Amino acid sequence: MIEVRNVTKAIQNGSRRVEILKGITLSIPAGQFVAIVGASGSGKSTLLGLLAGLDTPSTGEIWLDGTPIHNLNETALASVRGQKIGFVFQSYQLIATLTALENVLLPHELNLDGSGLQRARQLLQAVGLGERMEHYPVQLSGGEQQRVALARAFVVEPPIVMADEPTGNLDSTNGKLVLDLLLERNRAAKTTLVLVTHDADVAACADRKIVLKDGMVVEDTLPEPVHAGQN
Amino acid sequence: MARHALSWTRAAAIAGRDLKSAPGKFAFVVLSVAVGVAALVGVRGFSESFRKTLSTESRGLMGGDLSARVFRLPTDAENLKVAAVLKKYGSEARSTWVVETLSMASLTGNPAPVLVTLKAVDPAEYPYYGKAELSPAMPLGQALEGDSAVVAEEFLIRTNAHVGESLQLGNRSFKITAILTQEPDRMSAGAGMGPRVMISSDALARSGLQAPGSRASRRLLLKLPQSADAVAVRKDVENALPDAQVMDFREGNPALSQGLDHATAILSLICLVAMVLGAIGVAMAMHAHLEQRMDMLAILKAIGARSSDLLRIFLVQTLGLGLTGALLGVAAGGAVMVILPSVFGKLIPLRTQLQFPWHAAGAGLATGLLTTLLFCLPPLLDVRGVRPVLVLRRLVEQGSTSFRERIRRLAGRWIQMLFSLLTIAALGCIAWALSDSVEVAWRFAAAFAITVVVLLTLAWVALRVLRFTLNRVRLRLPSSLRHGLANLYRPGNQSAAVLASLGTGVMLILLVYLMQGSLLRDLHETASPKLPNIFLIDVTSDEAQGVKEFFRHQQGVTEPLDLMPVVSGRIVSINSTPLEKLDDRHVPRRMLENAELSWSDTLPAGDKLVQGKWWTRGDAQEMAVGEGLAKRLQIGIGSAVQIDLGGTVHTVKVTALYRADGQHVGARVSFVLPRELLKGQSTAWYGGAHVATAKVGALERALFAAYPTITVINLADVFSRIETVVDQITFVIHFLAGFSILAGLMILASSIASARFRRMREAVVLKTLGATRMRIVRTFSVEFSVLGLLAGSVGAIFANGLTRVLLKRMEVPFHVDWRATTIALLGTAVLATATGWIASYRILGLRPLEVLREE
Repeated sequence: MIEVRNVTKAIQNGSRRVEILKGITLSIPAGQFVAIVGASGSGKSTLLGLLAGLDTPSTGEIWLDGTPIHNLNETALASVRGQKIGFVFQSYQLIATLTALENVLLPHELNLDGSGLQRARQLLQAVGLGERMEHYPVQLSGGEQQRVALARAFVVEPPIVMADEPTGNLDSTNGKLVLDLLLERNRAAKTTLVLVTHDADVAACADRKIVLKDGMVVEDTLPEPVHAGQN
Repeated sequence: MARHALSWTRAAAIAGRDLKSAPGKFAFVVLSVAVGVAALVGVRGFSESFRKTLSTESRGLMGGDLSARVFRLPTDAENLKVAAVLKKYGSEARSTWVVETLSMASLTGNPAPVLVTLKAVDPAEYPYYGKAELSPAMPLGQALEGDSAVVAEEFLIRTNAHVGESLQLGNRSFKITAILTQEPDRMSAGAGMGPRVMISSDALARSGLQAPGSRASRRLLLKLPQSADAVAVRKDVENALPDAQVMDFREGNPALSQGLDHATAILSLICLVAMVLGAIGVAMAMHAHLEQRMDMLAILKAIGARSSDLLRIFLVQTLGLGLTGALLGVAAGGAVMVILPSVFGKLIPLRTQLQFPWHAAGAGLATGLLTTLLFCLPPLLDVRGVRPVLVLRRLVEQGSTSFRERIRRLAGRWIQMLFSLLTIAALGCIAWALSDSVEVAWRFAAAFAITVVVLLTLAWVALRVLRFTLNRVRLRLPSSLRHGLANLYRPGNQSAAVLASLGTGVMLILLVYLMQGSLLRDLHETASPKLPNIFLIDVTSDEAQGVKEFFRHQQGVTEPLDLMPVVSGRIVSINSTPLEKLDDRHVPRRMLENAELSWSDTLPAGDKLVQGKWWTRGDAQEMAVGEGLAKRLQIGIGSAVQIDLGGTVHTVKVTALYRADGQHVGARVSFVLPRELLKGQSTAWYGGAHVATAKVGALERALFAAYPTITVINLADVFSRIETVVDQITFVIHFLAGFSILAGLMILASSIASARFRRMREAVVLKTLGATRMRIVRTFSVEFSVLGLLAGSVGAIFANGLTRVLLKRMEVPFHVDWRATTIALLGTAVLATATGWIASYRILGLRPLEVLREE
């Protein structure tokens, strides 16, 4: 369960104060697939960052599974990120000097222990990269890199997965493949999925669609029956 | 779920892979560490080997098991006591006297005399250990038979003589039978002046050079049976010769060891400067590296890494680089160690057996690692501030630029500031370990902190002034010049730090050069026409009047001969405090055990009475003392001094304190007594006169012909000797300060390498817009050469300022040496440009698409 209460986020650029989010309040039940959509600069990625504990709000509260993360210190936030959240980014964000397998294994090593090798291999097999485990990111195509990122997001079995434009850098074929895999993994792991996108087709797959404009929620569409049934 | 930290193994793996991704950049980091470590290991390693050589060959270096040095002829009673000591230790115990003195020598048929250090030995006994090596090879006894002499090669070179010719010493002529290539106990002898000549003791006695009271040092060498207890023998010898400096083979050579310790400490600190500069370079490189790895850090944080996990990765990386650099430095230090003997030149007249310096290697390794770690921690701690949200958006909070905000941000970096203070404290501790002196340590740490602050400020000011000027004229400048200058403010460029570090190296070298030049210039300038430029020693009482007459009739004597009688005496007590308890007065004991006394019933010429009054009766039991020595000995008017004169102890009262003007020979004696009190004592006379430079040679020749036993010291020779030693020391310091320059250049190279990607992108953008290779070469060359010029200016300003302050304290006038300063400026610019191109030449060959496609 994710609870957002009257959250604002402003940043200071020199002498100028930029308000990115202006009082967001929403609640996401466990297991729900939410798509956050909006134009460029509407604040969707910022909101995702706050939900994931990558940043702290200027005002307001954010609760993850009953834990207030808006006022946690850096170490505690790292713990929340590592154990409760899996992340998929638009530009993959793999560590260039580690192999695909090492990239997937890394969250396990950081947050649990070094025994996740078997699971990392299974996940890479599951995303169709069984033959490319020892390859470095630079040796993989964009679609393959994003599949590694998917496997990495699920390796510690987090209850929540956040995805920021996961298909934004991919062609339509690879984009569809990645999205299908993400939804499949999500269904299999029964995780809450929060996905930021500006692609209407991708948003259409979600249980719920939240539209942001100028830092405010302007539309919050409840699940359509067909998707609700899928979940 | 249990929370685990990233394992050290995985941290090492990530760090290792990261290193592999940009080996060139890290090569500079490794070299930065290696440079300082190499210098330190070289110096300390050589010192370690030198000390080992001293201890393993201590008997040979002394020529015996025990030596006792005196500066006067031993009395008959003392000789009897020495004989008794020998008898006590059986027939195997042997002894011999070795005499060293200064003398004039000339070739037969060539009246120009040369000042030599004359050594007289009994070849049947000397040396007990080691061997005097001769060319052509022959036994020493054979070479010194009758009136024969062996000479150092330097004597033959200076006199243009050959083996087989004859030389005149005192009243006699000696045949040169061989060249003395090595004296085993050369290190135990005094510094000496002029080339060395060795004759037999019998020959010395025949030469007439040894009159009572003449200046000579005598060493009694003892060979002991193996069963003898060195401690007991030493005690016996000390009792037999109470004025002697006694050493046994276990000590090696305490004066030399002490000198070696001091030199090692000073040179180690110079190396530490190079090491610190290297560490600053590493810190800068790590800072730039972390900035480039911001994305990776944000990703790691986004997937759950804590700051401590990141710190672990980069700590391992830093330690790995530091260790690699330190190991490379240890290996290179071996090479430095091999080169050092030729750098030291004649300062160390001993063949050192070089061995692998385990202690020095350990010290270099530890110091290299520690300084690297200390200097890298503040930039590494910056990983705590990396925000994971960077993975989502590049728009980061810049913060306001208000003063209050800046203070707030600065306060937020308190850990870094604390570590910086700790670093300075730790540097002090390292300096303490290297110099073995708390005072030196804190002075070093304080000087380092002040130097860094001043240099950084100077560098900052220089860059601000440049920017200010540039902003006003930029559009009127040619574009490549404008672009090159603007590069100095490129984001991520470490211009201020490069200026400060390169400036430190320039400052060190220029400072030593300017100090050396100023001191030598002062030495020559203060030699005023009134000051004596030739000195006479070992003039006997019989010769004194004749010599005075001789000078009166010589041409070119601009200041008449000033002759002063000197008698040897022993200070027994001062104000009832015996000599043995006067150690806290900071006066060498030898000066009191073998005190030089003079007589005069009126205030001597050139002296000024500062307190009290001079005696009027020749038989007064009174004494006058030089102001400086009186202060050190805590002597005042009315103090009672007991003096042993030829076995009779006199108690005299101090009634006058005087100050010598330094232009008369009287300045060399600090105790003056009434004539009657010293009557009957063996007396040597010392003299000083000023002679027109062109006439000195003729006067020396005439004096040698008339008085062959009188030694003349020509001040020009002394200056030349001082200059040789100062040049040698300066060269050693320059050699080591060169490592600081090298460290500064490494920092520059490292800084250029770390900004390589920005530089590459710029170059390809310029190429895409139609720029030629030459245009890019011009732009970058402007940047590097201006950086070098600014660093040279910063170093030159600081070096001149510091030289001025130091010279003022030494009361030596300061003049700006424009030639040296200009060479420093241009030299730094050339070096910086060359280094800049070595670090970035590959950029020129890049094709635009290669880079743009990667973006």
